[in-house]
Amino acid sequence: MSSVTSLRSNRTLRIVLIAVVAILLLVAPLVLPVFANQTLVRIGVYAVAVLGLNIVMGYTGQVNLGQIFFVGLGAYVTAYGVNHGWNIVVVFAAACVIAGIVGLLVALAAARLGGLAIAMVTIALPIVGVPLAKRLDEFTGGSQGISARFSDAPDWSRLYSDQWQFYIVLLVTAAAFLLARNLVRGKYGRAFGVVRENEAVAASMGVSPYRTKVLAFTVASIFGGASGFLYLAAVQYTSPETLSFGHSISLVAAMVIGGAGSIAGSLIGGAYYVFVPQLTNAIDPSFTTASQGAILLAVLFLLPEGLVSLPRVVRRLTRRRSKRPAPGNSPQTAPARSPVTEAAPEGLQKTERGKIGHEG
Amino acid sequence: MKVRNKSGGALAIVAMASVVALSVSGCTRDGAGQGNGSGASPGITDTSITLGITTPLSGPTAGPGTCTVAGVAAYFGAVNAAGGVKFGDGKTRSVNIKSYDDAYDPQKSLSNFQQMVSDNIFAVTAGLGTPTNRAFRDAAISQKVPQVLVMTGDPLFSDRKQSPWQLGFVPIYQNEGAAFGKLLAGSKDQHKVAILSQNDDYGKGYVSGFKEAIKGNSSISIVGEQTYEATDTSVDAQLTQLASSGADVFFNAMSITPLVIAALQKGQQIGWKPSWFLPSNTSSPTAILQPGGATAYPGIYSVSFAKAPQSPVFAKDPDVVKFLSELKQYGNYPDMPAFPHCMWSYMVGATLEQAFKNMTEPTRDNFMESLRDIKGLKAPLMLEGTSVDTTVDGQPAVSTVVVQKYNGQGYATAENFG
Repeated sequence: MSSVTSLRSNRTLRIVLIAVVAILLLVAPLVLPVFANQTLVRIGVYAVAVLGLNIVMGYTGQVNLGQIFFVGLGAYVTAYGVNHGWNIVVVFAAACVIAGIVGLLVALAAARLGGLAIAMVTIALPIVGVPLAKRLDEFTGGSQGISARFSDAPDWSRLYSDQWQFYIVLLVTAAAFLLARNLVRGKYGRAFGVVRENEAVAASMGVSPYRTKVLAFTVASIFGGASGFLYLAAVQYTSPETLSFGHSISLVAAMVIGGAGSIAGSLIGGAYYVFVPQLTNAIDPSFTTASQGAILLAVLFLLPEGLVSLPRVVRRLTRRRSKRPAPGNSPQTAPARSPVTEAAPEGLQKTERGKIGHEG
Repeated sequence: MKVRNKSGGALAIVAMASVVALSVSGCTRDGAGQGNGSGASPGITDTSITLGITTPLSGPTAGPGTCTVAGVAAYFGAVNAAGGVKFGDGKTRSVNIKSYDDAYDPQKSLSNFQQMVSDNIFAVTAGLGTPTNRAFRDAAISQKVPQVLVMTGDPLFSDRKQSPWQLGFVPIYQNEGAAFGKLLAGSKDQHKVAILSQNDDYGKGYVSGFKEAIKGNSSISIVGEQTYEATDTSVDAQLTQLASSGADVFFNAMSITPLVIAALQKGQQIGWKPSWFLPSNTSSPTAILQPGGATAYPGIYSVSFAKAPQSPVFAKDPDVVKFLSELKQYGNYPDMPAFPHCMWSYMVGATLEQAFKNMTEPTRDNFMESLRDIKGLKAPLMLEGTSVDTTVDGQPAVSTVVVQKYNGQGYATAENFG
């Protein structure tokens, strides 16, 4: 009984929380300084890329080191469309669809291969992408890159460009997160989970591991393309350096740091991707790589499940501490993670996955 | 029931959010630096001026990137220690340098630019890299922030109409190719030229400058032309092909250090020993020519406009001695500079100082005017025959280069080919 009421109060709490966050997000760009808006815009860009990566890597367990290729592809498609005067909605659709089709084609071949072979194929993408972007200079502007401005605020909006960009990014990012959340909560999410845990079990349950992997990979590519569109909205320029392999690794690191297999973790990952270079620049611009490495190690040692697990870890620590003065308590309650008191979305996720695991 | 509740909640949220948004949108923000009444631009006070540099300080291009900061810091470190720069408006200001790492990532350089604007930087300068500078070029134009004396061979930055707030510093690729073409055209003998170039704007720039300079010269013929991709790991096939053309001059517009070394070695293996031309950024005596065994060839030519501190010819040159000690003391760069960017950015410092001296108002507009009005400035470390000239549309601040020939240790200026 008590758990039912707490569930219900959790739900109202969540609705209130969502409302507050939504209002804050809508109002924020109007009151924040320019640089804060610009930073938030970039966080949105990378949060969508990390979200896509999370679907294929965090939820479905397939190593993907080529996500930046789809971001770059989306950015190039956007630049091309904008410079040829396409309607912006068409441009956005094209960025997603073309990235999705390329992702699908790659996945159809790659998902037939097992485990590490997929990782190898995905490594090839940015490695092929950079020279390709340099070579196809009628489309890409060659190694000098290509500019496209479509995200300056129109006059009727009476907004500054950074505010206008914020709303574009907010719209797409919010839609992407909502869609991703629904996807991983539904039957596909369960399929992703079971394929990740054990492909044989998945097959025995009537879930085709091949199709599931292709689906996850394609969805990740579509998110990558959307992120590329946002990249161009924020940066208004792209060049072959955009899809350099190193950024792909940074995206994976951001995903792990944020929290693999977590929707909220993707947002944190995006924030990590943007904030850490700014932070390390402020510490000492000559030692950015060293301090970034130190931060990465520190997070992984202290919070192996990513920053998203921070509230959980804090709660566990405080609970343990409060238990200590009363040693008479039964010991097994202390470390157990009760799904109800956990941060709600992650909690549900964990239990669902747990169930599948037990059935298998 | 539940469903209705939910959607009702959602509606209420949207409604409330829009009400709040509408009521707040009435607020105006104070113009971020643009609209201050006193007349002075951001980043300049009566006693100081702040410049920003975004450049790769980590990653594969960190070496030259670090140099771009060190040179400017060394120059103004010494100037500040001597009291500062006396500006044209009669006030003496010290020059502060703020550096930001972009790791050669365009997205990060834009972010650094935005940070600089919020940090109240007067002007952006000396940063290395074409894509990284292009990434915030539009933003710099629309916010009227000078982005000057940047280290890129991209001609766009020196086009006044398209880039009103920009100016490149180093010679564009065409300048370098043309300088060698001119030298070759001055030779009395017949020459057969083989060309290998990187298949992008870098290689194309060199080749077009070279071809322009030898146009109409009947004693020079191009007998072979090959390209390679910047990601190629070997150019052996192209070299074998070009060797069969029997060329006696090899124009190699290559930007990848290991490939140049490999090419120098391969030529010797297959017994093809022409005179070489190499771009300024891949002709380092210690890092490339010595490991490549370049002395086997009749001549290795490159271009430069800076005195090389490594070269014994300049070891006692007063400019070089002063530069090296300031680099150590103020530039946080104790070693012998491995990249010419250290010298270039030191010259950037001298060029900026000249512009500051002519500034009569503490504004960015006035700074751009005075920067665009420098002619015949002989910055420290510049080679005989080169100078800073910012008055020509379409040309960077330094557009003259001197062709030099490798002499087994360093370079010496070559008056004639051969």
